[in-house]
Amino acid sequence: MKKLLIGLYAAVTLGLMAWGYYQAVYVAPLDAMQGEVSRIFYYHVPSAMLSFLFFALSLIGSIGYLAYKRKNADWAQRADALAVAGAQVGVVYCTIVLLTGPLWGRRAWGIWWTWDARLTTTLVLWLIYVSYLLLRRFAAGPQMQTLAAVLGIFGALDVPIVYMSNRWWRTQHPAPVFGGGDDAGIKDPQMLAAFGWNVLAWAAWGILILAIRYYVERRSQKLAAADAQDALSA
Amino acid sequence: MDERAILDHQFTVAAYVIVWVVQLSYVAWLGLKWRAQKREAARKSRQM
Repeated sequence: MKKLLIGLYAAVTLGLMAWGYYQAVYVAPLDAMQGEVSRIFYYHVPSAMLSFLFFALSLIGSIGYLAYKRKNADWAQRADALAVAGAQVGVVYCTIVLLTGPLWGRRAWGIWWTWDARLTTTLVLWLIYVSYLLLRRFAAGPQMQTLAAVLGIFGALDVPIVYMSNRWWRTQHPAPVFGGGDDAGIKDPQMLAAFGWNVLAWAAWGILILAIRYYVERRSQKLAAADAQDALSA
Repeated sequence: MDERAILDHQFTVAAYVIVWVVQLSYVAWLGLKWRAQKREAARKSRQM
């Protein structure tokens, strides 16, 4: 039954992604000013939004790990698995943002990159979470999870700074899609629908890979615990 | 199609390809990690 539900969820997710792609490429009209590169927006913006969501889940996991570390070892390990899964999936989405943004910028602005507040804070966010993953990969010992949790909490502080950067400072980056004032945002209903479908599709996909990553981390924790038990009993 | 439209098309295709390459590479890496864990668990159960 569980396998059937997972298979059904994966099938719905793939269907949503195919529908989102169709909406973005064949249904949504072209932006009058930007031409075809405006279609990059349908993958770039949902990826940015979802990277924030997954970093927020990593934050919850990191706080949970520190909260349960001394009270409930099993819950602490579950929280730690959520933290690493959220950080890794968040880095995947943030990488996409940092790769697709310059492609759009090259055509729209004539440059690949500029050190404006939105771009720079996003790059810093990516670097913080890459360092979080490197810490987990290369640090050893009982303090590793605690150090990673602290870094995960500090890293998440950059998320609201990235989100507010083009409100707080004058930036070259376009105004926010939501809450950016009367001139900002999507006006065309077909563009809005294509954007909405892609947010939904990429969210479903992200949740699927987050669940797989969480499961892999839990199994890794169990194998490590079994190794430790073997070493003690030998 | 003029040159600008051709370049716009190429950049858009490149962006979409990059998105899929990054996502599918990550899923492939997860799959390899999953398989390695499964083998390790099987090896451990044989040893016991």
